[in-house]
Amino acid sequence: MKKIRLAVFLALAAAAFFPSIACSQTDPGVRSGPINGQSGATATSPLPLASVAANSPTGSLEFFQNGLARFQEVEVVSGGANNGLGPRFNFNQCSGCHSQPSIGGSSPAANPEFSVIANGIASGSTNTTPSFLTSTGPTREARFPFFFNSNGNPNTNAPNGGVEDIFVVSGLSGAGNCSLPQPSFAIAQSTNNIIFRIPTPVFGAGLIENIDDSTLIAVQAAAAGNSLGISGTFNHNGNDGTISRFGWKAQNKSLLLFSGEAYNVEMGITNEIFGQDRPLPGEDQQGSGLPANCLNLSKTGYPEDATNFTVATNADPAAQNAQVPSDIVLFAEFMRLLAPPTPSTTTPGGAASITRGQSLFSAIGCATCHTATLSSTQPSNITSSLGSAPVGAFSDIEIHHMGTGLADNVSQGGAGGDQFRTAPLWGLGQRIFFLHDGRTTNLLTAIADHSSNGSEATEVEENFASLSSSQKQDLLNFLRSL
Amino acid sequence: MQGKITRSALWRFLAVLAIHGTLLGAAQGAPQSGGDYSTNPDAKKLPTETILVKGAWSSASDAVTPLPEGGRVSRNVYNNAYFGLAYPLSPDWTEKYSGPPPSDSGYYVLAQIRPADTFTGETRGSILIAAQDLFFTLAPAGSAFELINYTRDHLNADYKVERPPTPVTVAGRSFVRLDYFSPVAELHWHVLATQIRCHMVQFVFTSRDTKLIENLIQDMSAISLPPEAGAIAGTGGGDAPLCIKDYARDENIIERNDPVFTERRFNSVPVRIIIDKEGKVKHIHFLSAFPDQAKAITDALAEWRFRPYLRNGQAVEVETGIIFGHPPRLAAPPPSPAVSE
Ligand code: HEC
Ligand code: HEC
Repeated sequence: MKKIRLAVFLALAAAAFFPSIACSQTDPGVRSGPINGQSGATATSPLPLASVAANSPTGSLEFFQNGLARFQEVEVVSGGANNGLGPRFNFNQCSGCHSQPSIGGSSPAANPEFSVIANGIASGSTNTTPSFLTSTGPTREARFPFFFNSNGNPNTNAPNGGVEDIFVVSGLSGAGNCSLPQPSFAIAQSTNNIIFRIPTPVFGAGLIENIDDSTLIAVQAAAAGNSLGISGTFNHNGNDGTISRFGWKAQNKSLLLFSGEAYNVEMGITNEIFGQDRPLPGEDQQGSGLPANCLNLSKTGYPEDATNFTVATNADPAAQNAQVPSDIVLFAEFMRLLAPPTPSTTTPGGAASITRGQSLFSAIGCATCHTATLSSTQPSNITSSLGSAPVGAFSDIEIHHMGTGLADNVSQGGAGGDQFRTAPLWGLGQRIFFLHDGRTTNLLTAIADHSSNGSEATEVEENFASLSSSQKQDLLNFLRSL
Repeated sequence: MQGKITRSALWRFLAVLAIHGTLLGAAQGAPQSGGDYSTNPDAKKLPTETILVKGAWSSASDAVTPLPEGGRVSRNVYNNAYFGLAYPLSPDWTEKYSGPPPSDSGYYVLAQIRPADTFTGETRGSILIAAQDLFFTLAPAGSAFELINYTRDHLNADYKVERPPTPVTVAGRSFVRLDYFSPVAELHWHVLATQIRCHMVQFVFTSRDTKLIENLIQDMSAISLPPEAGAIAGTGGGDAPLCIKDYARDENIIERNDPVFTERRFNSVPVRIIIDKEGKVKHIHFLSAFPDQAKAITDALAEWRFRPYLRNGQAVEVETGIIFGHPPRLAAPPPSPAVSE
């Protein structure tokens, strides 16, 4: 008798103290344990693909390591080996933005852009930190959907959408008398004429790059009979019309192209794909360009990043070879050779919950966009791990209409202001910020935001809402196991 | 005089310098409004939660001819003039969010119906009304019946089929019905589809509660549909034009003029046209096109002349589909000839 009463009392007490256990589900948060689920990986040394770890073909490991080092190089305006920063930039190092949970990843917990002025990367006399950057918020890139007109109003007949670099080099030694103002971030914010993008992680990017278009097209056709309201399309490369795949809107075709663009757009470093210092979108629109006294600040001539015809001799020929290509080639090689994250089979919530969660993810229709596995890649002429391999990215690489709640009013290639690439979910378990603008750290919010007027995912989100809390918890555990 | 700078010339020179100075000052100092800059503290705010920059989208050559995506819920009835469909919603059900625009493979989310706040039932559920244009489907299917079979064939292993595609009658019209169930999610999908104007039109009921779904399906008896509706019929006629797949093939075209595109794009541009009894294009519906593409195609189609379609010796209006731009690369063998008389 007594025992039973005690048990009842304890149960009631537990229900009173931990109501969440009984009736609601929570995002388990960033998964602890090995980085990318891989023993041996650290915050500064992500693992390469298995064949590269075995240095097959010979030299691939040297290239990977050289690329990893270059991805972390800190760039300055002029002088030294790593120069060319600016005249406008968002940060001075690829790995500053791509670092969670390891080099190559996404936004870290401590936002490096917030400390740019404090750390002397930009001068506080010529720059202010815009209010959308906070110390623990996501690392961001800003775009203005529309140009301002001469009255200072956003002009909806003049779409912009290009990256508005946050900082200027003016006031730094090396910048000479180049005096540039930052774009009007405060008024852009008060007029709703600004949107943000956070870094997409690049683990496994080489596999995505090596999928043949026909594989993607077959997946699209297989989904054509779905009863979920979903019908996506592809973004295409403007040069040859093949399917493009990188970036939040699948706006870019290849890792080399993205590297060249990122080096110029994020850091202001000209290279063999993008050979001119980049003016702001408005400086381009208005025809003014960059003032002459802001050009060639590195005094090296253009492009600032170039092939190294002469390199130091090294007893290890592979190490010597790896010094030859320009930075963008090595950035691309590093990213291409990065291993995809390894999901945990037990954490969080245990193996049974994760397995149920994965089945639920598929059953309610998440996987109709977030295709668990694309199989398989083309044969690879680079390294065996990239060839004829499954791609467990949880994405169909299609762009989908995501509704008014997510629309950013930026058009890129064939993608309109409300269309986004199905975000690959591999590595999600150790991500901090979610959705293209990093608006949330909570997976439940990320899921809820899939439904709004005009979204293809509204039915599926409704299916999620109709699950029991323990089913929802299984699904969240599964997502955090990735 | 030679080599000697006159006083006035010197002044002129200095004045030019001064002007240059102010210009330089302006370029380097506080920016004017324009481009990336605004100095207007009272600048107009843009609306939020609005899609202002559209990519490829739907549009039409006129504002009166009904369009598949033009249906609306009003006074608790979903009405769609294009499909000749009126579907009274069950009490306490409503539309919360509108769907996406038509896709470039001819898929429409017509309405997404949910329990309203006044709903007192214990379990939730949802009703999706969708359509697939059979001219543009990526699936090798020529009728609503075949498309539902395709759905069944492509269900993944997580689902259990409870009722394979089966002919049923709803409101006096033939439908095909497919029921399936996800044991892990404990969710049921009951799909009822018919064909109207060469589109598969479907009602998808989803819930954990099959009783709720059965009641909703019972309520479908109040639906009104055009006489042509049927699981393997539905090729127009009556008040609507006849629909004929690939009518715009060479032997039916007397005159054609290809659109001149000004921008290089790679999207597929599915277009539905209605050809009048004289063989002229009287209506164009772009399911998914950029404005410049729609303009170029409109200009070109104005020049097209078709052989009028004769039925029992009488010329009749015909509706057909054409894909401009880059047609999708089909994964499967091309669809079997869909609907032709
Ligand atoms: C200021 C922060 C920042 C820096 C510095 C930065 N990136 Fe990024 N990166 C981003 C953002 C934001 C995106 C998403 C861009 C988008 O799609 O709009 C991104 C996306 C990418 C992608 C696309 C990956 C995918 O799968 O979508 C690649 C590749 C990439 N960056 C490479 C680089 C390289 C190489 C460098 C150094 C030259 C670099 N990034 C520097 C912020 C940054
Ligand atoms: C219609 C296609 C579609 C469906 C269905 C869908 N998603 Fe997504 N998902 C997307 C797209 C597109 C994005 C990127 C949206 C953005 O950032 O604006 C995304 C983003 C996400 C993200 C954030 C990822 C990141 O990198 O920040 C998560 C988590 C996610 N989805 C989970 C789910 C879950 C869970 C479901 C099922 C309940 C689901 N999605 C259903 C298309 C879809």
